[in-house]
Amino acid sequence: MKAESAPTRERPKILPSNPGKIGESRPRADGVPKVRGEFEYSSDLRVDGMLWGATLRSPHPHANIWSIDTAEAEDMPGVYSVLTHEDVPGRKVYGMEVPDQPVLAWEHVRYEGEPIAVVAADHPETARRALEKIAVDYEILDPITDPAEALREDTPKLHLSGNVLKEVHIKHGDVEATADVVVSGEYEVGMQDQAFLGPESGMAVPDGRGGVDLFISTQWLHIDRDQIAESLDLPPEDVRLTLSGVGGAFGGREDLSMQIHSCMLALDAGRPVKMMYNREESFYGHVHRHPCKMEYEHGADREGNLVYVKARLVFDGGAYASSSNAVCLNAGTFACGPYDVPNARIDSYMLYTNNPPCGAMRGFGAVQVCFAHETQMDKLANKLGMNPVELRLKNAMKPGDKFPFGQTVPEPAPVAEILERVENMPMPEEEEIIGRDLRRLPGGVSNVTRGEGVKRGVGYAVGYKNIGFSAGFDDYSTASIALSVEDGEPIIYVHTAAAEVGQGGVTLQAQISRTELGVENVAVLPADTRIGSAGSTSASRQSYVTGGAVKMACEAVRGKVFERVREEFGDEFGGELSMEDGSVLAGNRRIVALAELLENGGIEETVVYRHKPTYPLDENGQGDAHFQFAFAAHRAVVEVDEELGLVRVVEIATAQDVGKIMNPQSLEGQIQGGVAQGLGLALLEEIQMKDGKVQNASFTDYLLPTILDMPPVRMEVLELADPDSPYGLKGVGEPPTISSTPAIVAALRDATGRELNRVPVKPEQLAGIEGEPIRRAPQPGSRGPVADDLGSEA
Amino acid sequence: MKPYRYERAEDISGAISALADEPEGAFLGGGTNIVDLMKLGVSTPDVLVDVRRLMSDDIEETEDGGVRIGAAVPNSDLAADPTIRTRYPALSEALLSGASGQLRNMATTGGNFLQRTRCVYFQDTTTPCNKREPGSGCSALDGYNKNHAILGSSEHCVATHPSDMAVAMAALDAFVVTHGPNGERRIPIEELHRLPGDEPERDTILEHGELITAVELPPMGFSSNSKYRKVRERASYAFALVSVAAAMDVEDGVVRDVRVALGGVAHKPWRATKVEEALRGEPVSEENFRAAAEIELSEAEPLSENAYKVPLARNVMVRTLSDLSGEGR
Repeated sequence: MKAESAPTRERPKILPSNPGKIGESRPRADGVPKVRGEFEYSSDLRVDGMLWGATLRSPHPHANIWSIDTAEAEDMPGVYSVLTHEDVPGRKVYGMEVPDQPVLAWEHVRYEGEPIAVVAADHPETARRALEKIAVDYEILDPITDPAEALREDTPKLHLSGNVLKEVHIKHGDVEATADVVVSGEYEVGMQDQAFLGPESGMAVPDGRGGVDLFISTQWLHIDRDQIAESLDLPPEDVRLTLSGVGGAFGGREDLSMQIHSCMLALDAGRPVKMMYNREESFYGHVHRHPCKMEYEHGADREGNLVYVKARLVFDGGAYASSSNAVCLNAGTFACGPYDVPNARIDSYMLYTNNPPCGAMRGFGAVQVCFAHETQMDKLANKLGMNPVELRLKNAMKPGDKFPFGQTVPEPAPVAEILERVENMPMPEEEEIIGRDLRRLPGGVSNVTRGEGVKRGVGYAVGYKNIGFSAGFDDYSTASIALSVEDGEPIIYVHTAAAEVGQGGVTLQAQISRTELGVENVAVLPADTRIGSAGSTSASRQSYVTGGAVKMACEAVRGKVFERVREEFGDEFGGELSMEDGSVLAGNRRIVALAELLENGGIEETVVYRHKPTYPLDENGQGDAHFQFAFAAHRAVVEVDEELGLVRVVEIATAQDVGKIMNPQSLEGQIQGGVAQGLGLALLEEIQMKDGKVQNASFTDYLLPTILDMPPVRMEVLELADPDSPYGLKGVGEPPTISSTPAIVAALRDATGRELNRVPVKPEQLAGIEGEPIRRAPQPGSRGPVADDLGSEA
Repeated sequence: MKPYRYERAEDISGAISALADEPEGAFLGGGTNIVDLMKLGVSTPDVLVDVRRLMSDDIEETEDGGVRIGAAVPNSDLAADPTIRTRYPALSEALLSGASGQLRNMATTGGNFLQRTRCVYFQDTTTPCNKREPGSGCSALDGYNKNHAILGSSEHCVATHPSDMAVAMAALDAFVVTHGPNGERRIPIEELHRLPGDEPERDTILEHGELITAVELPPMGFSSNSKYRKVRERASYAFALVSVAAAMDVEDGVVRDVRVALGGVAHKPWRATKVEEALRGEPVSEENFRAAAEIELSEAEPLSENAYKVPLARNVMVRTLSDLSGEGR
């Protein structure tokens, strides 16, 4: 008999889903395999005879390339393929919105880590050594690393189109309005990383007929496929993608990483090629959250009614466009926060620089401005001598108000209600400091305080964001539902291309199908490109859009079932038809079991679901740009050790409107995870850049919150149905990240009285121990990380 | 990773001679640091001689009332040892504040002393670093240096030593016992690690092929009144911004004797002898502790991003000393 403890590896049992309808807590289908280490991530893929791909990346953030010599690498035993830009069969650039990013660099590199060549070899180590044999002749150029510098007229242009990637100007009401009480400030948000745990990986398999199959972790299969096909110069049907196990995404997998590279190598070598980044390479392999500098001015009357908001936002887009255009627009539209603002002038700029490309990350532009507008609201409350929650309540937007971008605030928009709820939730008990468990003191088990100098603070913030794709984007999802009979039991097969990235979508699709068709057995098929696009798993949109598609496909199947019932049994039932427990009912009366009705053939329906249209903004930044809005409020309680600058977040309280709770346990996970990411931005997480180079590309040096840093989250969830959405649901993934950061920082200000205009907040800022550096003169022979001499090297 | 040979020796002398003809060879203990560095291409040994099984993993009390710790004792065992916890609590606390549970299970006492710096430029083979590649320059001097040294650095290197354990050992007057090509020696911790000077590539005074086989903690009457405090940016699994290990003997409100060492501030565990000298025989008071700390830190030479470490080191010293003196607020 096989010992139970023997290590075994089998495909995760993700397909037969758990029972349960919508509204019920059901464990995620992928949960147990992930915890047990049995889940098959894309990094676990392997087939006999496969090769390993590796990527040569630029060590310089800005350089001209005079030559690339691959001869020596090609001659190495075990090397099957060495490819450069010359080998890209089709379009040499890619990009979701603006195709400006080279598949493999030619003539220029614009950021540190930009791919220049790829290699496939019989072993990862062979591939790595082959990279070392590729000689690149660089002419190193001064990097442009400050967006403000990039904006100046006399700065060299990084792209033919100039350095301004996008600007959005919103003019709302009287842009010259003045007010009695004015507060202003400058705010800054550092570069956060998605820090997903599963690095970029996938495997490309040539089909022997010129096409390729790619098994990949991504957020959006079809946009990947379209970009790959363009660059491979293949018709889309010859590029087939199947979603592989994804280890987190948070926006960082919306852009391509190794997709085109692995396909090129596989087609060239005629063998399957696996590529997998390590942690360091992953920092160069995906986009990050945009760093942003923001100048704000708020004007109000003496009673605290907002009169105007002026904001100037400058985002560092990095070297290539990614989804920066949409981030720039989003940030502009949400710059005033969820308040009724009669007059506003918002100028939002997105700049190209030689920093790493920035793009989608949970919150997508709303995170940066929320930190600024919420800090401004606290400042204003302070100046008015008002309670900060009272000021927010006074100005809270409500249905029927106008957003600064001209759209009417739809029903429901419970800004005041969620604020009142977080304010009224019980406060965490203030524990006696003497005798406290160390883990409940700032610094925790680092043992640094017995409570000396520990101060408590409380802060509030509220934020909002659009759900789904906006501003005229044709946002849709496709679902196929097949209802049939197997072994005498009805079973539903659900097929979509929606990427499960850890959000719980697979379980949700099964719950919706079960609810709609009253059939216990549901199998969710692997997501792939055999079916139409589901759009991206981002913008908190999949429950709404793919959920809507699954629901609609189920309704179509149900319609066909009822047709069949009427054909066989007439249409006099004395009650409405419904489906429950594997049967068709009329009222409470069972008409026929599905097993019987479908004996001679199942029913399959494929539908495309669209939400209501959105429209681009006009030249004054006005338009019905968004179709749904989600709101959350947070209250943070912190304790700060003022002498050492250490923080313990005691508790986060939050209220969020989700329209309809689809899976309570899954929702709780989303809210807690979002708070953790917001806490990380408030206190820890920042990619440190110097002269265009990443300084901390590891999880030793890029600090993520650990479980010991994470406080309990007290939550209240509202279910105010959106009349337009399936089941009334609202997207839930992003709001927890948006206002948790400013709430924590507000609490830190309350505790310390310090300004704190930049996140993440560092210990030295809290303790007022920043001090004056004694700068040494630069030493001979000690170059900084970037050579300032213009030379070329091989 | 560069290919290397893995060897096991029969005994300690075999291990030492195995490295004698291998100038690019290294000993392997718990492997928690060197294997990472090999993956990064920072360490490129030709041969690894596994010594873990050759050395004692015992913790024994010595006749003079001290404690002898085998070099192979895992960090987790040392931290949990009842003798250490009661008589040298600073050491136990220091060990528990380092790394993660899994790493502490693997890491050895001897190896802990020999961790290399976590300077990001040392770990990044694409950047100049005098410690990794002598003469190439120091990227941290004008780079990302918020975690770097404020004391005893040189124009060639501003890296810090990452160990928590070694800071406590320095405060507790520990010795390492080594065996090498030139026989056995007993080295005070204070002398084991070097300041960078113009040879930053050398972390310690150990010669090639010299192996730490044991650590000796001498008896110290007041070591039971000792503490380790570590300031770091998150609640676990982070290196110290600044840490302090201290032990104090107080009688009638007067400091009879005291030991203080700092971590995260220098290329070695920094024994704060000026603090010790200033406090011996003085009444315990927060003012005295502060004044003593400031004497030690008056020689600090902060870099562009780490000036905060000066007041931080002062504050955590004052607090730890106050706590040990019974004068804690």
